[in-house]
Amino acid sequence: MFFQPLDLTTALRPSLLPEETLLFVQDAVGLYEGKFKLPNHQNGHAYLTSHRVCYVDNLEPRKHSIAVDLKNVERYEFYAGFLKSSAKVTLYPKAAKPSLIPTRNPSTFSNSHIAGSPSRSANASPIHGGRSPFLSAGSGRSTPRPSNATWICTICSFSNPVPSNFDTATATPNMSIPPCLSCGIKPTFPQLLKAAIANAAGRKTSQPSSQEPEQSLLEDQDQFNVESNGDYADSPTNNPSALLRKSRFQCPRCTFLNYPSLLTCELCGGPLSAESKAAEVLGEDLRRPESPGPTLDGFSSGLNSDTECVKLSFRAGGEKIFHERLKGAMVQRKWLLQSAPPVPDSYQSFGSGQGHVVDSDGSVRPQTERARTVGIAGLERQGLELRKKNEVVIGSAFEDLDALMASAKEIIALAESFAKKSDDGSTEANQLIAESAKALDMVTTKDMLGSSSGSESLYLSEMSRNLAEYLTDDAKGILRKEGGIMSLVDLWAVFNRARGGVELISPMEFEKAARLWEKLKLPIRLRQFKNGLLVVQQADRTDDKTIAQLLAWLQELHHFPPSDDVNWDYERFGRGITAQEAAQRFGWSVGVASEELEMAEEKGVFCREEGVEGLRFWENWIVSDHDGEEEGDDGISVEPVRTIPDMELVQRNLEEMGLV
Amino acid sequence: MPPTTDFTFPTYHQSYPPFYTLQPNHQTLTSQLRKWSRLIQRYARHHSLFKLSLPATIDSPLFKNVSLKKRLSLQDATKVLDWMCTDEGGRRAEKIVEGGGGGGGGGGAGVYWIWWKRPEEWGEEIVGWVERTGQKGVVLTLYELTAGEGSRGEEFWGMDGEVLRRALAGLVRKGRAQVFGGEGEEGVKFF
Repeated sequence: MFFQPLDLTTALRPSLLPEETLLFVQDAVGLYEGKFKLPNHQNGHAYLTSHRVCYVDNLEPRKHSIAVDLKNVERYEFYAGFLKSSAKVTLYPKAAKPSLIPTRNPSTFSNSHIAGSPSRSANASPIHGGRSPFLSAGSGRSTPRPSNATWICTICSFSNPVPSNFDTATATPNMSIPPCLSCGIKPTFPQLLKAAIANAAGRKTSQPSSQEPEQSLLEDQDQFNVESNGDYADSPTNNPSALLRKSRFQCPRCTFLNYPSLLTCELCGGPLSAESKAAEVLGEDLRRPESPGPTLDGFSSGLNSDTECVKLSFRAGGEKIFHERLKGAMVQRKWLLQSAPPVPDSYQSFGSGQGHVVDSDGSVRPQTERARTVGIAGLERQGLELRKKNEVVIGSAFEDLDALMASAKEIIALAESFAKKSDDGSTEANQLIAESAKALDMVTTKDMLGSSSGSESLYLSEMSRNLAEYLTDDAKGILRKEGGIMSLVDLWAVFNRARGGVELISPMEFEKAARLWEKLKLPIRLRQFKNGLLVVQQADRTDDKTIAQLLAWLQELHHFPPSDDVNWDYERFGRGITAQEAAQRFGWSVGVASEELEMAEEKGVFCREEGVEGLRFWENWIVSDHDGEEEGDDGISVEPVRTIPDMELVQRNLEEMGLV
Repeated sequence: MPPTTDFTFPTYHQSYPPFYTLQPNHQTLTSQLRKWSRLIQRYARHHSLFKLSLPATIDSPLFKNVSLKKRLSLQDATKVLDWMCTDEGGRRAEKIVEGGGGGGGGGGAGVYWIWWKRPEEWGEEIVGWVERTGQKGVVLTLYELTAGEGSRGEEFWGMDGEVLRRALAGLVRKGRAQVFGGEGEEGVKFF
């Protein structure tokens, strides 16, 4: 299938792969598969990244979020919407049929072919890797292939393989039967059935039917295994015909299976170029069984046909920009870079001049041999080389913009290392500057968002998530450094600094975004102290937890006599604490500590003692009624007077006036 | 002021410093005021005080704890007593206004009646005593009631004249007593 599981960050946004960049976000998006709405995927955010199209559900983001890898997208269509029908963008998966795959640019092919498996394993989809029988040669071969069964064409007597999904138990005459590979005439159904049964009788093992969904896409095509392309010699299959067939190459024109060494087709004479062979292999590569994604119950069988597609329905606009950016992403094909070789390092990049030593006889010796020089001279040379290398990298990067884009990674790494080197004292600020480059690619900027009516709120909610991610990022540990609590103004400053002076956020928008945390159920919360100060905290640090923490401490103090002589019953009442003591104990700032103490007081847990030494907070024994036993019931009442009826009140007043 | 020898203060008064700071939290404050009110009433009762002059008592052990080096400030003590005057405080105190309310006894600002028994409760007390001693229908002078040999040992013995007059006024209103005579030599008859 087409859908991939999607990992979410703490802030419920898709966690981006390395190198992946966010291009566009749009809310109020629903998903269709084919013509049908996907249940539970009807209201969410669509994230377009350089590698994927992600859907994050609004209601149950952890459960119903999926992604589509752009590399699996064959083409996309745009539908502008009509009357009540929302605008849609349709994504068509790359079909498994080789016929649908256009001949590839050889260089593209060679990239993805050579680095085929690494790129796939880098795909971060665990399902993807392990499942495929094509990938793991051992497991793939251990299961007997269904194509071992053959049927003889009555027209040309060519020995054709029975389609892999042709199960004698379930097959019906209605199902499509692939034609003869040689002459193109379809066999009759009984003929095929007979062949299959004969084969099944000959072999004891029946075909596991579990392979069907994966194989069904291949049903009318010849089975052509990548694995057999290069190393068929060690194939455990002893059936000679299968071996023979496997090692053959299909003619792109007449589909005849030729021997791989032939340059022209044996049957039609068409050229069997390496390119077409390559396309062949690539096609195989891409028609790898997909991990099963969510499907509509009851429709899944129909969805395996080539009509399968995924539609994103844009109910609140934004489809045009999405389409634009998707177009851009499909042209750029950043996912290919993933497996591309890294920017060549200096020694190769400036070729004969620096990287290699040209000997007197003209032979080029690799650089490494020359770097033998030891001592100070060697160190100096090393430094020189490093500087030259950096120069070249920077120089070539700025040559033109494309080159800059290509070597962006390198440049950022350099900038970071410069920033770190420039001040080894490494104050926090310097670290932040170094991180700013990194932070740049994670920020949500306004132009990433749709310009529909809800774009303002979308911008805010995205920024809100962005902030939450920034705060919960363990690598930065921003909150931890501040003792788990930080004022909003400080955060605003740090965050804007991290943005590196680009797309700065206004304080007002920042506050609005921060106020959205609670609504979006993010792990960060905004808290307002009594004096109006806004602070940022982890959501799980509630007031109750803080109070419990403080109370536990105060109760501890019952058992330790205070340092100075006390003239009260400390075992009973404990003692008072100041904000400074609390700050010291919990690593808060004094301001925060006093706010926390006052918060506890406001909740009636603490009470205060104002004295010459300052404000101290005590456990609240005033509210509790434990002193009753000392006073006894001496008839003294402190109960409020019951409200007196008006008449009586008037009478009483009159009475008193007369008396006084 | 009578000596304060054997009055036992509650523990929070003795060893809980926050008791001397009026709390900002409303709920805690209510609780605190109630405790103070109770303490003041007990104190007044123990020492048979009917009037409390704050300037005179602010340095007494009631408001000042020497061992804790804590005291209730005059301002806060005024707050406590003002609260006692309210309905919420049970009207256990009443501010004596300058020039009114019986004149004498300290006078000036910060003087309060402490109603550890309110006038109507005093009335009931007196009626109870009269009934117990079989003096219904007998005319008694006010002096007899508060300073006479017969009532010695009763709580209202030594009672302030003003308080007595107000207590009797309550009874008169209810038709349970009658006051005769003029200023200074009133007599009272209970029915």
